[in-house]
Amino acid sequence: MNTESKNLENLSSDLENNYNSLGKKSKSGERVGVFICRCGGNISDTIDIERLKSSLDANFVEDYENLCSLNCRRHIREEIMEQNLDRVVIAACSPLTHLKTFQNYADPLNPSMVEMVNLREQCSWVHDDPEKATQKAIGLTQAGVEKVKSAQALKKIISRTEKSAAIFGGGISGITAALSLANQGVKVTIIEKNPAIGGNMVKIGKVFSPEKLAEECSLCILNPIINDVVNHKNINIMTKTNLRRAGRRSTYFNLVLEKETSYIHEDRCIACGNCVDVCPVEVPDEWNQGMTMRKAIYKPFAQAVPDVYTIDTENCKKCGKCVKVCKMDAIDLKLKNEVVPLKAGSVIIATGHEHFDLSTRPEYGYERFDDVISQMDLARLLGVNGPTLGKLQKISDGKQPQRVVMVQCTGSRDEKSGGKRYCSKVCCMVALKHASIIREKFPDTEVVICYTDLRTPGMYENYLRYVQDKGLKLVRGRPGEVTKKGDHLLVRVEDTLQRQPLEMETDMVVLSEAIEPSEGTMKLARRFNVGLSQDMFIKEKHAKIKPVNTDVERIFVCGTAQGPKDISESVSQASAAAAKVSEQIKCGTEAEPPVAIIRTSLCKHCGKCKEICGFKAIYRDEEYMSIDPMACKGCGACAGVCPEGAIEIIGLNDQELYAQMEGLLRDKEDGEIRILAFLDNVGYTAADTIGNNRVSYPEAIRIIRIPSINRIMPEHLMFAYEHGADGILMAEYPDECMLEAHKAKMKELSESVAAQGIPADRLRFYKAYAPHYRGLAQQFEDFYMDILEGDDLKKF
Amino acid sequence: MIKKEINPKSNKLVEEVKKDYRASQDLGIKRCMQCGLCTSNCPAARHSNYDPREIVKMVLDDNWELLDNPDLWNCFYCYTCQSNCPVNNSPCQVNQVLRQKNLHKAEYKIKMKEFSAYGDSYLDFGVGSMPKAFFDGMVKDYGKSYVDLKVNLEDIRHELGLEDYNIKGKALEDVRNILKESGFKSRLKKFKNAKES
Repeated sequence: MNTESKNLENLSSDLENNYNSLGKKSKSGERVGVFICRCGGNISDTIDIERLKSSLDANFVEDYENLCSLNCRRHIREEIMEQNLDRVVIAACSPLTHLKTFQNYADPLNPSMVEMVNLREQCSWVHDDPEKATQKAIGLTQAGVEKVKSAQALKKIISRTEKSAAIFGGGISGITAALSLANQGVKVTIIEKNPAIGGNMVKIGKVFSPEKLAEECSLCILNPIINDVVNHKNINIMTKTNLRRAGRRSTYFNLVLEKETSYIHEDRCIACGNCVDVCPVEVPDEWNQGMTMRKAIYKPFAQAVPDVYTIDTENCKKCGKCVKVCKMDAIDLKLKNEVVPLKAGSVIIATGHEHFDLSTRPEYGYERFDDVISQMDLARLLGVNGPTLGKLQKISDGKQPQRVVMVQCTGSRDEKSGGKRYCSKVCCMVALKHASIIREKFPDTEVVICYTDLRTPGMYENYLRYVQDKGLKLVRGRPGEVTKKGDHLLVRVEDTLQRQPLEMETDMVVLSEAIEPSEGTMKLARRFNVGLSQDMFIKEKHAKIKPVNTDVERIFVCGTAQGPKDISESVSQASAAAAKVSEQIKCGTEAEPPVAIIRTSLCKHCGKCKEICGFKAIYRDEEYMSIDPMACKGCGACAGVCPEGAIEIIGLNDQELYAQMEGLLRDKEDGEIRILAFLDNVGYTAADTIGNNRVSYPEAIRIIRIPSINRIMPEHLMFAYEHGADGILMAEYPDECMLEAHKAKMKELSESVAAQGIPADRLRFYKAYAPHYRGLAQQFEDFYMDILEGDDLKKF
Repeated sequence: MIKKEINPKSNKLVEEVKKDYRASQDLGIKRCMQCGLCTSNCPAARHSNYDPREIVKMVLDDNWELLDNPDLWNCFYCYTCQSNCPVNNSPCQVNQVLRQKNLHKAEYKIKMKEFSAYGDSYLDFGVGSMPKAFFDGMVKDYGKSYVDLKVNLEDIRHELGLEDYNIKGKALEDVRNILKESGFKSRLKKFKNAKES
């Protein structure tokens, strides 16, 4: 395990010390230099640069034609050295596009000592009147000077992740991810609840392959991979193991696992099988979907890995016969469950799926009729290592069926109780695969698929045509009932294309059962506090751009734990999850301010911060509250609810905020209107776009960039009103995971401001969307006009 | 061939169905995927030309000719379609709304005649129950157990601590008055007196 990594508490206290020392320093004489960009006329054509320069109060002021040019990099560095500047204001364009550039140009200075004033997008491009624009430019730049005086130097926050991973689930997804990580030198533990790894894939016998237009042997594909996993020096497999507890730390997870005993010393068992013959207990064999029997001591299947026998402790009668015949002395009926601690830098949830409980649809007769089976049952029947050694036989009489009717969407696309609203995605292909095998090997058997929509997207359409060529009957309609008539089963369905109810005789009915989230997945999610989707699968952080992240930092998801998908997709997703874990380990990751830190000396561990944080950045580390800087967005919601004032937002402190507000409201003339607009990143982007498109709005608008409105407290707003703000607009993108906190914040701000006698329409909230910049511009305009035309202006 | 002209009001019928008070608030009619599960189980579809899936399709197609489709009258409200529909639609509720739209017309009043005995049960017992006229048929279908149920219903309810099924005394008077004052009684009479046109 990687021990060089620093834990967050140290990081936090470093920051705290840093902050304190610099805070003191900032009181004594700092030297601020202002670098003004003419932007090839983009700024200087509207703004009187000479007047701007002469109006500023700073230690050094100079203007340049193109400040972002490499030539100016030299100028900036030289002036910093020559003038002994320790803070810099760049009065140019948008920090969204150029802050990094200028932080680099000012290199000997700490990046947080560089403040950008957006003269182009927020002044010269949106205002036409040079006189007013120049006045505003002076105000904006001076506010920048005041703000940067309060800036504090920040250290980079590098978050390291321990070079180890715990992968829950030993199916194809977990195995794929494990192998990829292990090959990159990461220590991996596969935690599997069953006695053998391989998951559902080992059971299904054949898998569909749209490219080869054939069915491939799943075990033949999987076995070499499983062997690699078993022999890999970086992979440890723990079967019959479940998670009991999970604790989050800054660089790893502390896991407590429980390994159920199988009464077998796995290291001694040589899988000779002598024990099986003497075992008197017989129970239905889950490997064959209960269609055959197995002993209480058994190996799940011939190629099972780990290659050892296991005892089903629930059914074992402890007669001791197996103990007597075991020559390796591998069986000990007194063995107990073992509790194993595990430290893992990252977690991958690959816990797979379960199948829909067909007994909840009694109208299809799964429990009543022997010859109504599921697709998984059929997969076992068709498997050469299955109960009939691959012969298609009716369960009832062992005869080959003349007709097989498949019922699609059993439990899928179904809003009724217990049903799944989603499409299970693979069942159409599974039905086609089995139809193909039946038509190939048992051409006397007719296959009818009753479907609502046949979903074979992309290359799978080729496979549909291939199976159709083998002779496949399709009925478009969803059966309502399966009954018995004489010797046959009877499927009632409407042939919707013929507009006729249809009663179809058949020998066998195969229900295409829905894929559903497994109980284990849900349990694991609860233990890790990972969010679930509405359909109770693990929810990805963002379906488009973060498809394998969960809402908890360093926990990833892949395979059917995240939603129905086929093997190809599961493998892709597993590879992606492994890549993400690796990225985190290899690169470390740098947290950008603003981020929240907790002063542990003040924290009383009440946990209010943890409750409000929609980013799940805050967790309880033993009894202490901790913040993961990688997950934190610096929105400030936690600081707002902390009763002890123990949380500080690094990167935008109160002094900076007050200094900027004061600067923006300074020198207000009689009858002049000033509106402060607090914009989050999306709002700020929209405002930049207003500038790019030269849409004008009133000079009264003065923009302050904030991480989120959650950062803003009532006292900030009151400060603004007291210093001359006529109105305050707060615009933010409605981020789903913080919606509740937003609502609460809006309520809090509105009520406190109203209690101080500020008219309700002087504080406005707006949902910002980057492409809808015209909407924001209209807000600016409307707010200004309302105040101008309103009669309560004089009250301020 | 069906010719489909551009018509911005082309979902008027489904909107009317949805906003009718007979329709459940979350009626899934717009989510209908025409799977035909309703029809596969529909006794009326088995014995007549009635097709609940098609009825729903015609509503979604804004086909107002549906209102005069005689097949509409073959549904007898067993609610199987409602209990099975995978998108929580209820073709039989849709059917009720559609039928109601035509009841003011003379030719449809006659259709209500066979239901009027249900109306009588409200006047007689204060609740809706199986009309007397159907008794023999029910006994034929269900056998002696139906008679037992009928005879012992109130006793069973008392044993379970439930009140009488039928409403009695002052409460029954109140129900009758409400039915009279609200026009139910006279409306029922109109349906009873309807004649083939």
